[in-house]
Amino acid sequence: MKEKKITLINILLLLPFIAIAVLIGSCSKSPIHEQIITPPDTSHTTTYENGIFVVNEGNYTWGNASVTYIENKSNIIIQDIFRKSNDRSLGDVAESMKIANNLGYLVINNSNRIEVVSLKDFKSVKTITGLDSPRYLEIVDSNKAYVTNLKKNISIINLQTNTVTGTIQINGWTENLIGFDKYMLVTSIGGYTEPSSIRKPKILVIDTQTDAIVDSIETGKEPIGLVIDKKQKVWTLCTGGYDQYEAPSLIRINPELRLIEKVFTFPDPNKVPSRLSINTTGDTLYFLNGGVYQMPVTSVALPDQPLIQSDGRLFYGLAIHPGTGKIFVSDAIDYVQNGMVYQYNIDGTLVSTYAAGRIPGSFCFTKSISK
Amino acid sequence: MTSILSGSAKYFITLTFALYSILLCSQGYSQSVGDTLRLPEFEISSKYILDNSGFKRVKIDSSLLINHLNADLSNILSQYSTIFIKSYGNGSLATPSFRGTTSRHTQVEWNGVKLNSPMLGEVDLSQIPVSQFDGLEILYGAAGISRTTGAFGGVINLVTNPDWNNRLNILTAASLGSFYTYTTNVNVVAGTSSFQSHTKFNYSSSSNGFPYFNDYLKETIRQQSAAFALYGMSEELFWKLKDKHLISVKFRYNENDHNLPPTASNINTNHLEKQKENLLLTVIEYKFVEKKYNLLVRSAFSDQKMHYILDSSINNTHRYSQWINKIRLAYFGIRNLTIKPGIDFTYDQVNSDAYNGTKFRATTSLFSEFNYEIGKNIKTSLVIREDLIDGKFLPVVPALGIEFLPWNKFNLSFTLNLARNYKYPTLNDLYWNISGNPDLKPETNYSIEIGSAFNHKSKDRKFFFEFNLAGYYSWIYQMITWSPVNGSSIWKPENIDEILARGLETGLNFKWEILRFLISLDNNYNFCRSTYQKASSAYDQKIGKQLIYIPVHTLNSTLNVERWKFYLNYNFYYVSDRFTAKDNLSIMPGYYLSNIIFGKNIGLKKIVLSLQIQINNIFNLDYQAIPDRPMPGINYAFTLKLAFPNSAR
Repeated sequence: MKEKKITLINILLLLPFIAIAVLIGSCSKSPIHEQIITPPDTSHTTTYENGIFVVNEGNYTWGNASVTYIENKSNIIIQDIFRKSNDRSLGDVAESMKIANNLGYLVINNSNRIEVVSLKDFKSVKTITGLDSPRYLEIVDSNKAYVTNLKKNISIINLQTNTVTGTIQINGWTENLIGFDKYMLVTSIGGYTEPSSIRKPKILVIDTQTDAIVDSIETGKEPIGLVIDKKQKVWTLCTGGYDQYEAPSLIRINPELRLIEKVFTFPDPNKVPSRLSINTTGDTLYFLNGGVYQMPVTSVALPDQPLIQSDGRLFYGLAIHPGTGKIFVSDAIDYVQNGMVYQYNIDGTLVSTYAAGRIPGSFCFTKSISK
Repeated sequence: MTSILSGSAKYFITLTFALYSILLCSQGYSQSVGDTLRLPEFEISSKYILDNSGFKRVKIDSSLLINHLNADLSNILSQYSTIFIKSYGNGSLATPSFRGTTSRHTQVEWNGVKLNSPMLGEVDLSQIPVSQFDGLEILYGAAGISRTTGAFGGVINLVTNPDWNNRLNILTAASLGSFYTYTTNVNVVAGTSSFQSHTKFNYSSSSNGFPYFNDYLKETIRQQSAAFALYGMSEELFWKLKDKHLISVKFRYNENDHNLPPTASNINTNHLEKQKENLLLTVIEYKFVEKKYNLLVRSAFSDQKMHYILDSSINNTHRYSQWINKIRLAYFGIRNLTIKPGIDFTYDQVNSDAYNGTKFRATTSLFSEFNYEIGKNIKTSLVIREDLIDGKFLPVVPALGIEFLPWNKFNLSFTLNLARNYKYPTLNDLYWNISGNPDLKPETNYSIEIGSAFNHKSKDRKFFFEFNLAGYYSWIYQMITWSPVNGSSIWKPENIDEILARGLETGLNFKWEILRFLISLDNNYNFCRSTYQKASSAYDQKIGKQLIYIPVHTLNSTLNVERWKFYLNYNFYYVSDRFTAKDNLSIMPGYYLSNIIFGKNIGLKKIVLSLQIQINNIFNLDYQAIPDRPMPGINYAFTLKLAFPNSAR
């Protein structure tokens, strides 16, 4: 074999290969995040001021939370509107959405932030950070809101600057909020990691003028869900604890006297009721317990038959349309594929079905509720 | 399809480039280095073993592992086998999936002793350093029944073997890599023709703060809190008496400490997630070899501890001990027939914060294998296994294999095997606090596999060619899937899914000795369709859809060139899109990675000094195996190895 030196020709021969290698390297910057095979619909140009937002939680740690928009009049469905308008993921586990001052507040639990979006174009106008695993936001007035957290404290938000201005100190997990008079009622579950036997569940009464906890009402384990009926009675649903410490219960509270008036105990401790809702007229409660259950606030017993059978579906979210009174229920299917949303009449007949995103969990309705 | 085409086109181009540049470079170098060193003996060995007739077993050479002392098992399997490794990030949880099954269906063994946790049923491959084994064999599908029940995907066995010709061999290696990654290995192998001792130490640590493009923040940031450290030591003693008795005692200790980084969309938070694991493993083995029969008796004890912390919310310690025993007899006294009866006994004990009290499981397994030769051209084997778990008999697990060799002078074989297999639930499935489901039934698997293998060696032994092909079709019934209980946040395991996995595996390997270059080229391609066959409700879209996180195509190719004691290893692997939804409506994009190792062995009297540079992900590709879990871009490692070989040869 002949011995050769590195010659100019050798180097020149090498050049095209180096060029190809560099080319491959540089053209390989394909997107690396999770891709939706049916990308967000860009054919419809719309504002988001008259419709229904379906908040899709997404899978824990996968960062694939999204929002599906259903326009009221046209029934047009647009998927993943946050990515469409902002070219990025909404984050990890979108818990809930609330509208205040014509802005949408998306509470992103495991990304520890609230995305504030304009309802005109759904573009993010602010990202609120400094939260501790946030759950729900409730408006106090046009300047102030409270946000519950899984880990600790209730955060106080200034709705004008969209920043966290303070906290109401609580050791543990707070969930739902509802305004009553000048007070905010908040379900307080106990330490996030504590077993039910240690937890001291209660409904906190917070004076919204002083941000101080002025009183509390003891409840069953894990109170999740809080509504007020037409007679100004407060209802909360207790799951009995994640460790099935006790039977689940539905509790009616007199918020004036801060006393429990009535406890309905669920017969089957293995079935866990959830998503307590009430219609606009405040006379009928709805909740999930496998199927969708309907219960007049005057009822003396829990309903024993569901209004809507689950038929193998995994009902996950529930809301009553404030304008039409129609029942919206979401189906997470098996949590690892895109879910569905079903619209029902109050008699339980199906009106329409909508495709949604991954784990549709909660709904938010715009102020304009024409339909 | 376009991504596959472009992937393979790029692969071809890069490969050509690599080959071409090597030829040029080495010609340039030849003058200065000279060619006085003798070429190592060119060993030819088939990767496709035709032992356990009719079943597929593949070997990964120890010669390949020696250049990867700073790697872990997950790197090796991604690069050189077509087993897909689901990795949560560099140094983080990495689990194998092959033949369209999950990591629970893959058994990983160290010298025949299973490493799978009885809790999760899987092994974290990122925690097994390459330095702790000399070679590895992969048993595909039903081939695993000769080792265990329930390994529907197969078995990965890591082996260490004594070399009776060795007298003293000291190897020290130190590696310095990107992101403050350090690896140190010391191996002392000493002995006589009847006694050998292997002493090995390994240490590696990394700050692991690699830069990546964060799609959520739209900027490049460094990975946070992802540091890890691994320590390990092992001592293995082998005695041989009159070529009849072989006694070995093996002892291994590992300690792994790692931070688990936050996901890409959960940054800027006070994320604290840590895991610490300790493993102590002792194996005592006795082999008796006679003309008409062999006997193997093995007893192993392993003790593992895992401590997991997540923020202030989870602080759990799991501790599990396993006592694993095996007796095998092989009788060759009857013409054309070998009978290998045996019994396995395993006792698991788990003490976990996530369980209500200590849990135990006793598994007794009766085993027999019959190998029968029909004439010179047909070999058959029948494996029968019967498990007795906590006093309950599982149905019989049978596997039948047939191998047909039509020509004696021509190394072409055809294989067929049929099997039924069962997978008993893991202890987590049964006993995890609140979620555990004691009513679970075992998963059932029916499989059929056909294969063909061919190899050819030129008469001057300078060219070797090998080809293998296997197709499988496998049903899994009553597959255990964790899913949410209606209306609550509790997930429970249930016998829900029905899976159909079918696929094609091909391998094409070459070895040349040409102009004193030693060139080898190994290629593997896998096609796997593994689909859900049962829906949970009318709106469930998963029937006929690919299982999540299982790629349809995987391909790898390795070019190895040696000359003048230089060595170059170019590895390319491609993983196609993986679905992240059971309705197959979202995907993680596929990726192709290229890695290069270039080194030189310098012989200095009694010392061999090796210098090696390794470039991983040379095209600096951004990729993720799991959503929101970034992987490192281009990174480097420099390795210095010093060996003091002293052999009786």
